[in-house]
Amino acid sequence: MPDRIMAHMVAFYPDRESSIEVARALIDGGCNYLEVQFPFSDPTADGAYIQKACMRALEKGFKVHLGFSLISRIRKCSSIPIFIMGYANTVFFHGVEIFLKKCVFSKVQGLIIPDLPPGYDEGIFALGKKAGLKIIPVIAPSIKDDRLDEVMSRDPEYVYAVLRKGITGAYTEIGEDNISFLKKVGAYGVKILAGFGISEKKQVRSLSPHVHASVVGTAFIKEIMNNHRLNPYKVITGKMRGLL
Amino acid sequence: MERLYNDFFGCFGGKYVAEILRTPLDELKHEWLEAMKSKDFKGELDILLTEFAGRPTPLMYAENATKAAGGAKIYIKLEGLANTGAHKINNVLGQALLAKRMGKSRIIAETGAGQHGFATAAVCAKLGLECRVYMGEIDIKRQRPNVFWMELFGAEVEPVRGGAGTLKDAVNEALRDWSSSFETTHYLLGSALGPSPYPDMVREFQSVVGREVECEIKRRDLKVEALIACVGGGSNAIGFFYPFLNKKAPRLIGVEAGGTGNDPGEHASRMSGEGRPGIVHGYKSLFLLDDDGQVGSTHSISAGLDYPGIGPQLAYLGQTKRIEFTKISDSEALDAVQLFSKKEGIIFALESAHAGAEAIKFAESLSPEKSIIVNMSGRGDKDLFILAGILDKNRWYSFLEEEVKGNAG
Repeated sequence: MPDRIMAHMVAFYPDRESSIEVARALIDGGCNYLEVQFPFSDPTADGAYIQKACMRALEKGFKVHLGFSLISRIRKCSSIPIFIMGYANTVFFHGVEIFLKKCVFSKVQGLIIPDLPPGYDEGIFALGKKAGLKIIPVIAPSIKDDRLDEVMSRDPEYVYAVLRKGITGAYTEIGEDNISFLKKVGAYGVKILAGFGISEKKQVRSLSPHVHASVVGTAFIKEIMNNHRLNPYKVITGKMRGLL
Repeated sequence: MERLYNDFFGCFGGKYVAEILRTPLDELKHEWLEAMKSKDFKGELDILLTEFAGRPTPLMYAENATKAAGGAKIYIKLEGLANTGAHKINNVLGQALLAKRMGKSRIIAETGAGQHGFATAAVCAKLGLECRVYMGEIDIKRQRPNVFWMELFGAEVEPVRGGAGTLKDAVNEALRDWSSSFETTHYLLGSALGPSPYPDMVREFQSVVGREVECEIKRRDLKVEALIACVGGGSNAIGFFYPFLNKKAPRLIGVEAGGTGNDPGEHASRMSGEGRPGIVHGYKSLFLLDDDGQVGSTHSISAGLDYPGIGPQLAYLGQTKRIEFTKISDSEALDAVQLFSKKEGIIFALESAHAGAEAIKFAESLSPEKSIIVNMSGRGDKDLFILAGILDKNRWYSFLEEEVKGNAG
């Protein structure tokens, strides 16, 4: 299978206009999917880099309606599939149905909300299906077989497979354990988006035969933070190209 | 609501966590329900509650405070006399024993005022468990003595720098740790909130407070008009109120932090203020949120009440009106600490002093044949630096200067 990448970015990081540049850079650099995180004050599944990026984005004036405008602007220059990643409260607070309507309106393909897992999902899986949106469940290697069956019974087109325990950021060495987990999930015939700790081409290479796309997130944030004096477009296209 | 495990209380509660935490939470629920059926587990817990925590704690008639208020008789449940200075020890002993039963060798905990961290560190020392406590950097500054004690017990106190530097950020960091460490580690959550089974489990372990009060009411034949407790996350309140939840009387009154004013960021009043439905820290409840759904900033003179959410069962009981909520300001709480110190010879923790202040107000409105019971959920030793810095500033500061000079010399 080809090396596909879902590139993650935080809306309004490092600020509104620069985040448009980051999106453009990721797309021009060759990513296949764009995952736009809507920042939340308490991102419990994220490591230090994404936490910092979210805090900064909020300081830079991120609001949910502005996040949707940002996506509409990205949409104008590209037809790349866009997924919104966020936390439960962002969706719940604005109302699940209203939030989904806004997703449809901004031509978002789907949603990744890790703390709305099937069973505690506020109806997002059913409502998403009705609205034609792909709601992507997040699963982890520790998942029990019966629970995996339960998640897959929602008949998702994509699943987000977390490659290890813990939070985003720290490097993941791709090993036998990861591959057997991905094989188990792949047997359900879903498109696997696999992430957590992917920052290098060799990881993408080893994942490719087993996944639909690899997810890279923290690596881009790190690039922006470490090169904050440089033009983010240049920095990010470079990093993105280097992964493929 | 007689069941041990409820998951939801009305529309509040649940287990809104990323899949990675589902496995340990399901395991915890299973093991906890098994333990509650085990005579050995209960026997061991009872011995520790008696010998180590010092239960039962006294119910004291506060005669002088009653005279000062000039109304109903005020009784005080002296929960702060439990070992480590607060009710927190009840839940910590229960969960730590459970962790051992589950074969976990490491404990992590969050703490705000430091009382839960203090209790956790002490119990880990006693039971031979490794311990790490997450504490916001603002809270570390204002509750320094508890940091010292936790470290003396051998715990590692990890400052949390992200976010507001308070309790909510400590919870975030503990959840992050647990998502990579759950195979060896138990997350010993200190309040009746978070994803299920924590709200149910913490309430059960804290209900010992309410059961003791119920016995004393019967033994002394008290005509109790109301029970009053402070509410941060709400573990002391739910434990204290528990035996009475399904009864019509007495009135149950929860007291939130009124802080310095009514504007956002000046208080931590969810029920008596601006709390809105939200999903944060793995549970659905009422939270202080801004207009875009971000978690709002909070303030209270007491670190233990300085939290934007409230336990889901309390939020539900507030909606059904079984529990009434009110708030007390920073300065009223300070006044209450002084009043109970001068009249009764006891030092309320700043958190519990919110309940104490409400008790004085409430007693005034009632006739003398009636009684009220206030839970002094913690004692105020930990607040020495805050209290002395406010109440005796000049002498206290010059003492601190002398100390520094002395140590430096």
